[in-house]
Amino acid sequence: MRKPGVLFALPLIVFLLAVFALPMLIVAWYSLMPGRTFSLTAQPSLDNYRAILSAGYERPLMWSLIGATLTVAICAVLAWPTAKILHHHAGRWAVVVTALIALPIFISESVRMFGLYMFMMPGGGILAGTLNEVFGIRIGSLLNTRVGALLGMIYIHFPFMLFPTLLGVAMIPADRVDVARDLGAGGWAVFREVELPLAMPGLLIGGLLTFVLCIGANAEAAILGGRAVTVITAAIESRFNYAQDWPMGAALTMLMIAATALIVFPVLRRIDLNRIIRR
Amino acid sequence: MTSPSADTTPRPAALTLTGLTRVFDTLRAVDGVSVDIAEGEFFTIVGPSGSGKSTLVRLLAGLDRPTSGSLHLRGRDITQVPANRRPTAMVFQSLALFDHRSVGQNIEFAMKMKGVPPARRRERALELLSLVRLPESYYDRPVTQCSGGERQRIAVARALASEPEILFFDEPLSALDYRLRKTLEVELKELHQRTGSTFIYITHSLEEAMIMSDRIAIMRDGKFVQIGTPAEIYARPMNRFVAGFMGEVNILPVEGGLFTDLDQPAPGAAGAYGVLRPEALQLDGAGAVGFEAEVAQRLMLGSRTQYHLTRGETKFIAEVPGGAPVLELGSRARFSFDPAAIAWVDD
Repeated sequence: MRKPGVLFALPLIVFLLAVFALPMLIVAWYSLMPGRTFSLTAQPSLDNYRAILSAGYERPLMWSLIGATLTVAICAVLAWPTAKILHHHAGRWAVVVTALIALPIFISESVRMFGLYMFMMPGGGILAGTLNEVFGIRIGSLLNTRVGALLGMIYIHFPFMLFPTLLGVAMIPADRVDVARDLGAGGWAVFREVELPLAMPGLLIGGLLTFVLCIGANAEAAILGGRAVTVITAAIESRFNYAQDWPMGAALTMLMIAATALIVFPVLRRIDLNRIIRR
Repeated sequence: MTSPSADTTPRPAALTLTGLTRVFDTLRAVDGVSVDIAEGEFFTIVGPSGSGKSTLVRLLAGLDRPTSGSLHLRGRDITQVPANRRPTAMVFQSLALFDHRSVGQNIEFAMKMKGVPPARRRERALELLSLVRLPESYYDRPVTQCSGGERQRIAVARALASEPEILFFDEPLSALDYRLRKTLEVELKELHQRTGSTFIYITHSLEEAMIMSDRIAIMRDGKFVQIGTPAEIYARPMNRFVAGFMGEVNILPVEGGLFTDLDQPAPGAAGAYGVLRPEALQLDGAGAVGFEAEVAQRLMLGSRTQYHLTRGETKFIAEVPGGAPVLELGSRARFSFDPAAIAWVDD
């Protein structure tokens, strides 16, 4: 055998084709079938895609994209200082803080969602109730608002932004920061000229991971956002389940994948994985 | 050995260190260092690793704050001024080039921080490239594609671009191979002469310090042990530590006017130990003090031959010119020296 590498990769290639590529192909094919049928043999057409444009699905797609973008941005802003502190004050308590941030990942997302639900509940909820009892401040509820859904997204996805950012921050050699300061750079200039470019691979990986997870998320909007916001995943779910319109659900899925790919691939090309691994 | 302007007329102090001290927990890394460094001087701080010299230069550059003591730049107290507002620049041991930027962007960094317009920055960067003897075509090259010696020059050019009143060097040549190091030592000395700036240089190699410096400070355990011109330090080391730092030397203890290792009178003894350089110990029998010893090791150094000698429990090192007859290992020979060649120290 001239290329043993191909042979070694074969089991994985077969596995990926069977469980990843094939289902995608089936979904793509389904999206071309007539609406509300389960047939795979009808005449393919683009009718479902035309219907999407007239049926008002651009709003859920937009909310998904806006929600994911906002979540990535806010998580990045929160993750940067956290990562800096964890990196520079590495010690026993940094391990504790890291564990506290990482542990919730091991708990079912719906359990955490309902935890947040209790926190945000109106009147007797933990946040509103505490504010009322202790400070006498009466606030409305965050529940069933867009802000509520966004807070849920940030809470759930923060670790996925934080840990790659930590990796990025660890890629900044201390002497580069020293030399920049020595050559007259203030705090902001050091950040912009040295720290940010050097930590960028970590930030991009975290951003992509968070973005893709957010696009695919729907529990936050469903449980915390109530009727205030419908995201594309919720629309897809209702097409498949409630409406039993699989071809339309498939077409929406393809649209979502296309929109995600348009954003993810250009970013992915900028990341040099070799550089991160070789470090 | 020193530049013409040195030592004859007192020059104004560019940098004054007064009782500079830096304590880490219980370790006094820099312990009450005081010195005046003159305008335009090439001042070198030499010490073994762990002597506190890197900590000291970080204090001077403003990258760390002293626990006590003060630092004055041309009479102005800069002890509390942060690094980015000090008119000084440093060439780091690691060089710390910005690998994500081109050669030109590296050199222009300090000017960009000062808000110099791009066209002027480029012009000055090209000037600096030629000052450190790099072709202008390097301007757009990524620094990752430059060799060790080129990176070294880029780091110097980048530091010079901030037009520093004082330039610090923290062992910038230690990672280079011998030949390149020798070349760059001479280039740095010439650069110092051309720019007329004050250079403060840190190294663990006294040889490097001798070649380049106007004045040398020997540092040990956070303190300056001796400060002087290269000639002074070579001729009159303050103690055995300084003497031993200049390479291998013979230390001859003296008690009651006798060399205790040789059981011979020590004429003109002016200290508890005599420091004798290997090249002062010769085979020609011309010296007034002589002794017989066994050849334990022979090292050919090209222009001369180094012998490791044993006489009972005592070891000696001698370096004889290459032309002399070669001694076999295990043979015995009579070596002698002139007592006037001895430098006397007390501890």
